[in-house]
Amino acid sequence: MSTALAALAAAVLTIAAVVFVAWPFVSAEREPAEPELSETDRRRLAAAERRDESYQALRDLEQDFRTGKVTADDHRLERDRLRAEAGAALRELDHLDSLSQQNGSEED
Amino acid sequence: MTTLGGVALYVVFALSVYAVGASVVAGRRRDRKLARSAANAVLAAFAGALVAVAALEYALVTHDFSIAVVAEHTSRQLPFQYLLTALWASQPGSLLLWLTVLSGASALVMVQNRRRNRELMPWVTAVLGGVMIFFSTMAAFVSSPFQKLAGAVPANGFGLDPSLQNPYMAAHPPTLYLGYVSMAVPFAFAMASLVTGRSDARWLVSVRRWTLVSWTALGVGMLLGAHWAYVEIGWGGYWAWDPVESAALMPWLAATAFLHSVMVQEKKGMLKVWNMVLVSAAFSLSLFGTFLTRSGVVTSVHSFVQSAVGPFLLGFLALVIAFATGMILWRLSSLRADHKLESVISREATFLFNNLLFLALLFAVLWGVVFPILSEWVRGVRSTVSTPYYDFFLVIFGLPLLFLTGVGPLIAWRKASASSLLRTFRWPAMSAAAASVLLWLAGLGSSPAGLTALSLCVFVTVTIGLEFVRGTAARRALSGDPWPRAFVQLVSRNRRRYGGYVVHLAIVLLVVGITASSAYATVSERHLALGQSMRIDGYTVTNEGPVQTKEQNSITDRVRLAVSRGGTADGELDPGIRLFTDTNDQRQSNEVDIRTSWTTGTDLYAILQGIDQNGRGVTVKLLVNPAVSLIWLAGIVFLFGALVTVWPDPREARMLARRYAGALTREA
Repeated sequence: MSTALAALAAAVLTIAAVVFVAWPFVSAEREPAEPELSETDRRRLAAAERRDESYQALRDLEQDFRTGKVTADDHRLERDRLRAEAGAALRELDHLDSLSQQNGSEED
Repeated sequence: MTTLGGVALYVVFALSVYAVGASVVAGRRRDRKLARSAANAVLAAFAGALVAVAALEYALVTHDFSIAVVAEHTSRQLPFQYLLTALWASQPGSLLLWLTVLSGASALVMVQNRRRNRELMPWVTAVLGGVMIFFSTMAAFVSSPFQKLAGAVPANGFGLDPSLQNPYMAAHPPTLYLGYVSMAVPFAFAMASLVTGRSDARWLVSVRRWTLVSWTALGVGMLLGAHWAYVEIGWGGYWAWDPVESAALMPWLAATAFLHSVMVQEKKGMLKVWNMVLVSAAFSLSLFGTFLTRSGVVTSVHSFVQSAVGPFLLGFLALVIAFATGMILWRLSSLRADHKLESVISREATFLFNNLLFLALLFAVLWGVVFPILSEWVRGVRSTVSTPYYDFFLVIFGLPLLFLTGVGPLIAWRKASASSLLRTFRWPAMSAAAASVLLWLAGLGSSPAGLTALSLCVFVTVTIGLEFVRGTAARRALSGDPWPRAFVQLVSRNRRRYGGYVVHLAIVLLVVGITASSAYATVSERHLALGQSMRIDGYTVTNEGPVQTKEQNSITDRVRLAVSRGGTADGELDPGIRLFTDTNDQRQSNEVDIRTSWTTGTDLYAILQGIDQNGRGVTVKLLVNPAVSLIWLAGIVFLFGALVTVWPDPREARMLARRYAGALTREA
């Protein structure tokens, strides 16, 4: 490949890179700024995470019980504890939802 | 093409700088367009790196000896496939490969997360871009693969190092580099989560999956390297505790510890700081491994000559460690554990113990690697740390780790009672005890550590077998499905768990292979006149005379050895000494020959040590390596288990999507 051709290819590469990088600014696609997560959103996410962790732990507990790793007494105690944790997470989610609704109606 | 390749590297550098600047501003302003532009810069940088690779490959295959790396590492006689793989035979070429794999992994992250992790991604891009800036600086300004050769252009090149003329060289370095380089991705996600203060499960899923990819690539890369050493280097072994081998093992150990402790974080919300430290350590150790290979500070079959790259790499490593430490300290309060350890007899405690053992082994290996360097710096004398040092620590930390591999799956989360322990461990413990008696009676008591390791392997295998059987039985009882369907359902619904067990089985195969081939190997070396025989471990090997073969760029003098066992012919071996005619200094390499028994996995391994002046008598070294094939089989099982584990779980993705949608739709 001649030097001139290589230089031309290098120029094309550079221009293509600049166009590709600039494309989001000139394309018609609308990209609104991401909203900031509110404190309530973060709390809701954390509560949903705790709820899902409890559900997963309950599934693991059932599996451990069925495969003989947990005695019936331990299984009952742990199941009640995990159900209580899941219940607490669900109550917090309900509480956060009602807070959001209150704020929404006050704004209206 | 050198012009194009050189410009491509400058473009990659400029794009990396832009990606960092734009993504930091985008992260602070939450500007989606700017974030996407930064992501595009990473994609374009990958394309630029590919152009540079194509330019260098073109120079290699067209024998453009005006370029230093082409002249110094190839010749006109070099077979075509080695012209292609010569790209990573040189220091600058392997840095270019590092950059290409890094930008490729980063580009994949950008594509995967185009519509996910929007809060994290600008910071992920910034960290990955920062690493790309460093490596593109090295490739473009410090150690360019397009550097012209000083002086007149030679008519032919100096040839490729003989040990690199092996098919494994096509797969071993790129796989290992993928492992090293992709450790940057979990590190970037970890740092992004610290910047944003987001330590929820979604980033953890990204980190876990990418760590699995890196860990798998490092594991497979190390095994490919071990097999290359076994068939190419010609000393009869596969692992010599070469500093560069150890350098690959260290991030793998850190990643293995992380993959266990991350489960504790996901299930119990514990070990958050510890996991951040492990992810940072795995990436730092990857950089340290690169430093060892590139700087020339250690003597190794892998390392390159003393170069200008070393101090830069050391400086970058220090920067990464300082940055990660600062970030973790800054967010320490948000990384508090949600729960406490309730019992030392629980799965989370088992994972904690296994983490401590992994770290202890890691530090033992690290000390073995750095001690010669430190002793040279401090005393001016290079001390070496040899195999017995590593073997000692491998036994005292490795055997308890193997024990925990069996214990972990059978212990319940949170707390296990004595009665359940007794019930679950009854069969594995009895099997291990019976196995140790049988192995001792079979004469394997000569190595107590070997006997213990093999007995523990039985213990682990039985625990894993029980897990599959009990799990399938439980699934069957619940669904009423037939056994095969219940088994498939069990694995597909718990891929991480059962894929992990398959990986544990691979570790068992690996340990059996390593233990048998190192503790119970037989070696014999003799001079054999024409027609003379020698015996080793039931094999009779007879010198049937010399043979000479010619290849494209070499001549090989071989000896034909007839093999028989119990009076029956059992094939032949043709070990040789290969003289490379295209290298300036007429370099030689050992061409070993191996005969594998597929029923026992045992290898009869032949090395030609020397040929008499008359060309008829030879000195031959023979080794019988029992069960060594299990090590290579372990690689296949490991890869399969890792693929089962890493395969995306649509149910997990759906659950996360639901959770985030539920939390975030109310914000508007």
